[in-house]
Order: sequence, then C-alpha cells, then structure tokens
Amino acid sequence: MNGPDNAVETRGRTIDRVLPPLIILCVVLAVWQGAVRLLDVPPWLLPAPTDVADRLLKTSNLWYHTGLTVLEALAGFVVSAVLGVLLSAGIVHSRFLERGVFPYIIVSNAIPVVAILPLLTIWFGFGIAPKIMICTIISFFPVVTNTTRGLKSADRRVLEFMHSINATPWTIFYKVQLPSALPFIFAGFKIAASLALVGAVVAEFYSSDRGLGYLVITSATQLRTDLLFVSIVVLAALGVMSFSVFGRLERMVTRGEDAEKAK
Amino acid sequence: MTTAPDCIALENVALRYRTERGVIDALTAINLTVAEGEFIALLGPTGCGKSSLLRLVSDLVAPTAGRVLVRGQPALAARRANEFGFVFQEPALLSWRTALDNVQLPLEVMNFPAAERVARCEQLLASVGLLKFKDNYPHEMSGGMRQRVAIVRALAWKPSILLMDEPFSALDELTKSQLQDDLLDLWNAERKTVLFVTHNISEAVYLADRVVVMSPHPGRIKAVLPVKLPRPRNEALRETPAFLAYVREARDMLRS
Repeated sequence: MNGPDNAVETRGRTIDRVLPPLIILCVVLAVWQGAVRLLDVPPWLLPAPTDVADRLLKTSNLWYHTGLTVLEALAGFVVSAVLGVLLSAGIVHSRFLERGVFPYIIVSNAIPVVAILPLLTIWFGFGIAPKIMICTIISFFPVVTNTTRGLKSADRRVLEFMHSINATPWTIFYKVQLPSALPFIFAGFKIAASLALVGAVVAEFYSSDRGLGYLVITSATQLRTDLLFVSIVVLAALGVMSFSVFGRLERMVTRGEDAEKAK
Repeated sequence: MTTAPDCIALENVALRYRTERGVIDALTAINLTVAEGEFIALLGPTGCGKSSLLRLVSDLVAPTAGRVLVRGQPALAARRANEFGFVFQEPALLSWRTALDNVQLPLEVMNFPAAERVARCEQLLASVGLLKFKDNYPHEMSGGMRQRVAIVRALAWKPSILLMDEPFSALDELTKSQLQDDLLDLWNAERKTVLFVTHNISEAVYLADRVVVMSPHPGRIKAVLPVKLPRPRNEALRETPAFLAYVREARDMLRS
C-alpha cells in the first residue's frame, strides 16, 4: 500500500478483489482439463482437475491425515511462539543473553532441519513428539528475530520518558515495548506458521505412517498422482488459511500505520 | 547557612562517553545553579551537550565526574519522586493510543485512580484547545497538536520541573510562536522551574530569565546572559530595541 489511490482500491467490494483471481483459476483449470483430455495424457503423469476433485471427495481418511498434520504444525508453532517471545523479551533486557544466545539461534537456523530428523527419531521414536519438535525448531527463528526487532523498535524518546517518570522495566515492557512489537510479532508468526507446516510434512516424509506428508510420499511411490495432487491442494489450502488468519489477527491488534513499520 | 537549597545545582559536572572511535567529552566543568521557579534557556549549536545536560539533571545518565543536585538531594531522588516532566523535539507519543490515553500514560504508571486520570487529562487537553480531539490518534493530528499533547502529558502529574529538549524546533513559525506564548502563560500561572534547550537565539531570549550559552568540543558553558525583560511577555516585545539588543548580545556570545 503506497498511496491513497491504492488504499481506496483495497477497500473496494470483496467481489472486486475475489473475482479476478477466480477467473484466472477457472481459465487455468479449463486449459488443464482440455489439454489432458485432448492429448490423452495418462493419469499417472497428469490427472485432470476433475479426477483430482473426484479423488478429493472419495479419500475417506483424508481429513484424518490432514488433522494430524495440522495438529503437529499447530503444536510446534505454539511452542515456538511462546518460547520465542519469552526468549526475545529476555534478549532485549539482558545483554548477556543477547550475546550468548543469538549466535546459537543463527546456527540453529543454518542447520537443515532434515539433518536433525534422524536424531530426533532415535531419541523420541516414530510418534508425534519428534514431529512437533521439528515444527518448533523450524519456526523458532522468525519468531525470535522478528519479536526481538519489534521490541527494539520502541521509540527511544518514549523509553526515556518512561525512565524519567521512574517506570519499572515491567511497566515499560507491557505498556511500550510489547505494543510497539506487535506488528513485528505477527509478521513473524505468519512466516513461522507456514514454516511449521513445512516442518510437519517433511517430518512425516521421513518417518510416519500417517499425515499429509505420509500421503504425499506413498501416493508418489505408488504413482497415484491424483492422490498426490489432492495432498498438495490440501496443503496449499492450509497455507493460505494460516496466512489469512494471521493477517487478520495482525490487523485486529494493530493500526494501519504501525503495520507499515514492520514491512 | 539558612538559605533554601537551589532547585537544581550542577557542581563541576563532566560527562564522557567511551565509543569505539575513542573518548568523547560531551560536557566538561559544568557549574550551574537554577533557582526555584526560574526559566532557563540552554542555547548552543548541535553537539554542545545541551541535551546531555537535561539527561544529567533528570538522572537518565550519570555524570562521569561532579555532582548533580536537585533541591540538595541527588537527582535520582527527584526522579523517584516524579519531579521531572520531559518534552522532546519529537512528540514521542504512542501511536496506538488516543490523545487522551497518551496523556493518561504517566498517570497510569503512577497508579492514579482511573476516574481522576480521565478528569484531569480531559481538563489538560481542554487547556490547550484539544478536548474535541481527545479520541484522535497521533497520526490523525497535526505536528503542533501532537506537540501540545506531549506537553500536557509532561504536566499531567504536576511535576515541579519541566525539561524541554528543543520542543518547538520541528514546528512551523506560526505554531511555534503560538506554543511559546502558551508555554509562557503556563509558566506565569504555575512558576515551574524550566530548563529549555534550543538552538534558536530569539526563542531563548523571548522565553528565559537567563540564557546559558554553550559551545561544543568539549561541551561547556561559555557565558550566562540574564534577560531582564519585563513579564508577562508578548509578541510586541520581539520588535523592541531592548529585545533585539539581547538577541545581538547572545549571538555575539555564541560566536566569540
């Protein structure tokens, strides 16, 4: 949003915003459908959209797999959101913590999560626990970096004013620093939530007999391409949903011009 | 000695910063006493340490040498007693709070009862003509209005000492002179002790009882110019030969 014209446009009727992408989607699907039928593409190579839709409705345990993956991603995300915000609060208030912990946070982000998976599986088995841990690890970094940046974004003058009236560090934190950080925190949450979903799927690739990641892997090895597409469609929908939920929350707790800062 | 202690006393104060590029002497050998209810202007170019002086007085930074006393006590005691109302060049309001809630902030920190908070803050906003904007957010107000909110925020709990760090320098000429007159009215009514930092010579002369002229590298007090112009002062004063003579004198002190 970089101008008043643009702002007016985005505030336009919902139908004006939804219609253009919907038309594009319909055109793509129609071309896809037509091409598959016309060129007689084998379904294991590229199933037609109608085949995918058919499979979506017929896969009875799809929602069980979906629910499990969402549960893992959500649990991992919540853990990293809580721990991440707490750690950031500590980092902002303690130079020792900042200097001591930040290098390891950066290192943890540099290690490919896939490399830790076998280790977590040895330690915690094939259940849900190592998957949640992977989701936590993968989504931790954006929460900590964004929250720390946000807490530090508080106006220096306002902080001086608070000190001049003898406000306690806790008062300064919840009256000034935390509200200043909210747009940054939600921007971090948005990224973290999509990463948690990636983490859950990757963890299920490696060792699982259920979940969307398992569905993707098994349908690929069995060349059940229609089921593969179903899994991808569901994952995409989940990603879009989490993004829009956090976008909405972000707008609820902050005002327009605050959000500008976080971009 | 039976006389009451000075409101503010700086005794041989020095402030030295250590940076990666070496040691910076922000202030050296500062000796200054301010009487109760006196209006002092700290005048000087950028980098002369006049803002640092306000931070020393309000105990936001500690001096490297010397003593800062407020009514005979260390500055820390005065800060604990909420004696300082701070106003900055930028309004420094909370963007997620309305004008009224911004003014309430210090009263919340000091645990005033809610009903008293609202009543007092509405009265303060009314005194600067902003009552009908009390529910506006900072970005919905002009620069002058925001600065008015910042000023009444610094008055909300009736502190006895007002510290102002170039509060009007970001405003247009008309708003600036309006706010200067508002400030003088307020000062005439309540006689708070005011330390007013500025780099504007005529502003310093117009407002102050004494103009403290400072110079940089290292920051120090160069001269003190008592301004014996009658009060209450108003716009007409700016054209008088006496006023212009003081401005010329202050300018010569700055240059020498």
